[in-house]
Amino acid sequence: MNEATNESPNPALRHQVAHLDRTLLALCNERARLVASLPPEAANRGARADDLLRRNPGPLAAEDLRAIFAAIDRGCGLEPGP
Amino acid sequence: MILRLEVGTPPERVQALRARIEGEGLRTFLSPESARPIVAVVDALPGSLASELAAHQDVAEVVRPHGGWTLVDRAFRERPSVVAVGGVRVGGDQVIVIAGPCSVEGPEMMREVARRVRDAGAHVLRGGAFKPRTSPWAFQGLGVEGLRQLKDAGQAVGLPVVSEIMDAADLPAFLDHDVDCLQIGARNMQNFTLLKAVAGARRAVLLKRGMSATVEEWLTAAEYLAAGGCDQVILCERGIRTFERATRNTLDLTILPLLSEWTHLPVIVDPAHACGIARLIPALSRAAVAAGACGVAVEVHPRPETARSDGPQALLPGELTQLVAEARVQAAVTGRALHPAPGALAPPPGARAAGLVRAPRVRFPS
Repeated sequence: MNEATNESPNPALRHQVAHLDRTLLALCNERARLVASLPPEAANRGARADDLLRRNPGPLAAEDLRAIFAAIDRGCGLEPGP
Repeated sequence: MILRLEVGTPPERVQALRARIEGEGLRTFLSPESARPIVAVVDALPGSLASELAAHQDVAEVVRPHGGWTLVDRAFRERPSVVAVGGVRVGGDQVIVIAGPCSVEGPEMMREVARRVRDAGAHVLRGGAFKPRTSPWAFQGLGVEGLRQLKDAGQAVGLPVVSEIMDAADLPAFLDHDVDCLQIGARNMQNFTLLKAVAGARRAVLLKRGMSATVEEWLTAAEYLAAGGCDQVILCERGIRTFERATRNTLDLTILPLLSEWTHLPVIVDPAHACGIARLIPALSRAAVAAGACGVAVEVHPRPETARSDGPQALLPGELTQLVAEARVQAAVTGRALHPAPGALAPPPGARAAGLVRAPRVRFPS
């Protein structure tokens, strides 16, 4: 059995995924800190989410990303964008 | 030599140890560190005394610095030191951005730049009033009047200020104008008379690396400041002279992780003087923060083509805004955070009480 078909996932790739997860976690929390320092009218994502998702290069689908950003907004105590 | 004593060693035993050493005619310094007594011996120890101290019951570790410095050595503190510049804390787990024109050119220009620097989210306003210029015919700065304009602009937008001092005789003017941080430029890094004078001013000091200085020479220059009683020193890497002429200097990011091992002092990076080309500065700034710099110092000008000095390396205000945003990302991914902008709106009371924002309540919709 060659390494590519081994049942055990490539540990280097798993490490890279874990590192990306930690980075995403740090960035989400940094966004929360930043939003906390803004007045609500400046912090709400609103139409900016649409603009952002129009530039989505994939492979994640826009509707899935919209759900993720909505969850982040709620976590920051904000109303999610449309 | 640095003697790191056991945690909890009683002050009277620390004092007895220092008295033993000083009884041999040697000078000692006690670290301001509260977590653990740390004693620096700045004179060479005779071998017999060194052996005695290494075996002393209260000595947990003996550290010999890599060069001719002691008080700025990493082992002289438990944690990296944090320097206060006005209300801005440089070092630790926060990243800052220092920005402003190369030279103070006039009150209106200075006020405009200060507004732009504040609006971009930067933390400290810089501006040269006394300019060390290679050519005697180049703009030499506005002198004391420039200090006044810089400080006025900083106060108007709530930013502390940093400016270069070239001559110890000018120190009273810097203090009279309440300049928050005194910059020792690259050309004066080993001006020991100036270092001694500035050390006694009890102000934060930004010590730039000389363009041909080794790390050992740089840290030993910082030791002059520490020896004079200044424990608020920030190091600034600004590029060194190499064979490469494509850029003004060569930004030596190699030394950033090394410095974090050798010294407790915070280190920032000045990419503008390193490269001399404005369009390269964003990438170098990202690299600096990613490599562990506590901040970056850049030049900004609303009309770089008319700047009286260093226009080609000045960012536009919009470019500074982007640079600060990118510094925030780099800080976060390296486990730190961008320092709150001075004068920024306070978080809502609930967010402050929670220590972050509000209780996280992330649930993905089904």
